[in-house]
Amino acid sequence: MVSIDIETEDGQKEALRRMMLIRSFDDTAGTLFADGEIPGFVHLYIGEEGVGVGACAALEPDDYITSTHRGHGHCIAKGLEPQSMMAELYGKRDGYCNGKGGSMHIADVDAGMLGANGIVGAGPPLATGAALSAAQKDEDRVALAFFGDGAVAQGQVHEAINLAATWDLPAIFLVENNQFGEGTPVEKQHNLENLSETAEAYDIPGFTIDGMDITAVYEAVQEARERARNGDGPTFIEADTYRFRGHFEGDQQPYREDDDIQEWQSRCPIDSFASRLVDAGVMTDDEVESLRAEVDEEIAAAAEYAQNADEPDPTEAYDDMYAVSVPELTMFAGRSVRADGGSPTNTDQ
Amino acid sequence: MGDRSTPTVGVIVNPAAGRDIRRLTGGASVSDNYAKRRTATCVLQGLTLAPDRIRALVMPDRADLGQRLVGGADDIDADVSLLDMQITGTPKDTRNAAEQFSDVADCVVVLGGDGTNRDVSTTIGDVPMVSISTGTNNVVPTPIDGTVAGAAAGLVATDVVDIEAVTQRHGTIEATIDGKAGSGTVSGLATMGLLDRPFIGTRAVLDVSEFVGGAVSRAFPTEIGLSGIAGGIQTCAPDDAGGLGLRFGDGPDADAHTVRAITVPGVVNTVSVSECVRIESGEPWTVSIDRGVVTADGEREREVSDAEVTFTVSDAGPQIVTIPAVFQQAVDRGVLSMQPIEQKR
Amino acid sequence: MSTETGTTHGKSTETMTVREAIREAMREEMQRDEDVFLMGEDVGLFGGVFDVSNGLLEDFGEERVKDTPISEAGFLGAGVGAAATGSRPIVEIMFSDFMGVAMEQTMNQMAKMRYMFGGKTEMPITVRTTEGGGMGAASQHSGTVHTWFAHFPGIIAVAPGTPAAAKGLLKSAIRSDDPVFFFENKMIYEQSGEVPTDPDFTLPIGEANVEREGDDVTVIATQRLVGESLQAAEELDSELSVEVIDLRSLYPLDTETIVDSLEKTGRVIIADESPISYGTHAEVMARLMENGFYSLDAPPERIGVPDTHIPFSPSLEQEVLPSAADVTAAIRRLT
Repeated sequence: MVSIDIETEDGQKEALRRMMLIRSFDDTAGTLFADGEIPGFVHLYIGEEGVGVGACAALEPDDYITSTHRGHGHCIAKGLEPQSMMAELYGKRDGYCNGKGGSMHIADVDAGMLGANGIVGAGPPLATGAALSAAQKDEDRVALAFFGDGAVAQGQVHEAINLAATWDLPAIFLVENNQFGEGTPVEKQHNLENLSETAEAYDIPGFTIDGMDITAVYEAVQEARERARNGDGPTFIEADTYRFRGHFEGDQQPYREDDDIQEWQSRCPIDSFASRLVDAGVMTDDEVESLRAEVDEEIAAAAEYAQNADEPDPTEAYDDMYAVSVPELTMFAGRSVRADGGSPTNTDQ
Repeated sequence: MGDRSTPTVGVIVNPAAGRDIRRLTGGASVSDNYAKRRTATCVLQGLTLAPDRIRALVMPDRADLGQRLVGGADDIDADVSLLDMQITGTPKDTRNAAEQFSDVADCVVVLGGDGTNRDVSTTIGDVPMVSISTGTNNVVPTPIDGTVAGAAAGLVATDVVDIEAVTQRHGTIEATIDGKAGSGTVSGLATMGLLDRPFIGTRAVLDVSEFVGGAVSRAFPTEIGLSGIAGGIQTCAPDDAGGLGLRFGDGPDADAHTVRAITVPGVVNTVSVSECVRIESGEPWTVSIDRGVVTADGEREREVSDAEVTFTVSDAGPQIVTIPAVFQQAVDRGVLSMQPIEQKR
Repeated sequence: MSTETGTTHGKSTETMTVREAIREAMREEMQRDEDVFLMGEDVGLFGGVFDVSNGLLEDFGEERVKDTPISEAGFLGAGVGAAATGSRPIVEIMFSDFMGVAMEQTMNQMAKMRYMFGGKTEMPITVRTTEGGGMGAASQHSGTVHTWFAHFPGIIAVAPGTPAAAKGLLKSAIRSDDPVFFFENKMIYEQSGEVPTDPDFTLPIGEANVEREGDDVTVIATQRLVGESLQAAEELDSELSVEVIDLRSLYPLDTETIVDSLEKTGRVIIADESPISYGTHAEVMARLMENGFYSLDAPPERIGVPDTHIPFSPSLEQEVLPSAADVTAAIRRLT
């Protein structure tokens, strides 16, 4: 649950710290995945930190976000704890989802984080629903959907925008245009050069900003939030950004050139913001470096915690399917044979 | 200018113009790429009003706007082709195209906002520019039908009108920054300012109450933004020598002006101006700030701190075509009439 | 499984149709809890294409009876988002065939969120949708698809066969913190019966009901086929004693009630309008085999749609739709 005033110097430092936290988290996650420590898939947010942090900084703590398969950054930006996130990546019991979600499904509904999501384009309808809920209860809350350029081709995204626009819901649709939908360049997936022109079809404001500049994202979301809270309906924002890593870890990336990656890396949202703060006299170079070291230490500690955390008990696989107890689960769980040859003892069958 | 044998018109369509946050914060109209392509097609059609067949060279771009324009121009009675250049997908494209046009074109048509026009003006030299507004709050380009703009460009390119008489030499502004951060120069076409806001953010100037000072090369109340504010106090034509220097205060005092002005599309404000004086070409106008942003033509361009920003206006800017003047002269000279005027009478 | 409120067969009942029972269930639950709202295509001004929600707009206003665009993926997804953030939506999907365009939000969001998030969200959404052939609506408006949803972990699926079951189960569905699909066979909206009027009346999800006791053969039926089976039982009354069970809840499934009946009669027919292969019948039969194999006196029979779509022409439609005659024939084969 985070809200940062980037107009103040303290807010600027905190925004920088949070971007660094994401970078360090994902650098570490990438390494741990490569080392075989973390199972499954991981999709890293490196390069896009300015979008997540800029957007969440402009939201209020009670606001909702929906996320994507590339969700670590959104989680940290919304104020989730790296320690419990890392534990989730490891599939440990103390993870945000008790080890049932993993990298692609981290959620903390109480913090307004309605889940990373493995389905491209599934978040916007959920955000529309959260905005509907807030509107019906007359709560001072908005819902922001992060989604990628690839998702703009999904039908349900358009349905969600149409609903939110038609009902003037307090929603914000934020496209992170990182230039590739998996391994296919954005121009091969869309007839629009500016994805923000999508908004015109729904008679809502749509515009494109530099997603590598956290201040642009912050300002845009702040304005969109104000519009939403005034009952004027949703806004569509396209943030131009770039993922510095592959679609997933291990992606050989035959679809792009080193030159392009370097060009975008030269606009790194963290380095560029840090140097602006140094230029403006808000921080010294030494302070930036010690902040980075502090953040790296925090993430290293989170990883260590996660490595040593408890595995879930195998019987927990049968928990959380339903709010109530369903006889089938007890009945069928009793038939499962453990890797160690044992069988669950908590059944009555 | 270039090859005089075939009248040549350069066409620059900026695919990135007209998509900024003022669609949310103000009443700025939308300019989508489909509309831009339609307008540009009209420009090509308009070229055929000229008495001679025109060669049109179109800037290619990453959005394929120019490419599609050329691809769909088969039925237009003009030689339409794509300019041979590298595409970067950045404002560099506009500057590179304008530089090539400065050698080969007799006139250029620019579809874009003030930012696009500034980019063109840096490299276009003396080639006359017809500016069509597709951007947001535009001071330099005019909202005009593409066919009319294309026809004007065709008439200028075929030399049937007196170019000196139908163009205005626009001024430019340069800001020299001497500060702890942001040192260097930034240039503008119509307006430059210094904003009390710590970051570039979404680029567009959203709140004019944050202006500390600035300078304009032209001023009139119909011009949205800084030049409209200045223009509410005293006007200054685009081709007048020099410009106006501005300083803003917190509230009206003895020598201050309180101006009602259109500051952003859809927004009318009362603005307190502590100083608005005529400055000569080359005369420095200095404003200082602890932390702020230098703006050019309505966009935040550079973050500065502990800075003295010196604005100077120059008269040697681009040649902007005055469209009504082109047609008046064309009529006066009988260019559009199939028979000499005397015989008709 | 049981809901918080147990079965309360109140003294006072009223004769009402399935349609009225569903409408009353929604009205009572909307009065009881202001977080409950209804949305769907034509549920407000139009009153529902089958007239089910008629009058609710007048009672609760358009904030709580929301007409949606024709956008099932969008508004079902919005229902999921609203349910995750403290609302209790009832989403009407006009025809269950239209679930095809809204499956993503159902199978990957609604059904999985609680589990994926380690139990840290509730999903109190009810999806009401219509099923069944019989009105010449052809293949895209006549399907019986409930097996898909009963099959999918994380979803609760109910399909009432009587007015009382419709009211009691819908009220439990709305109060449930789990996603519940409530399947309404459109041919029984006019069927009437006694329904308790006590606003606290609910029926527990996961319990089947013996509608008619018998000793010779059991018919386990759903929806419209409950009535058809009761009719068949009535017609055979002089020769045979037929037990008829309304399954009511597809998932969870009341294994105990059906196995008890098998143990009594030794012969079972499963009558459900879904296509026969891999249908609800198969799961019911599997439960009987697993838990009552040695009580079987004859191979169980399945009555359903013989693996076709529902054709348009009334004569063709009649051919594939199961009816009392099919139940009677099956009973004859088994006894």
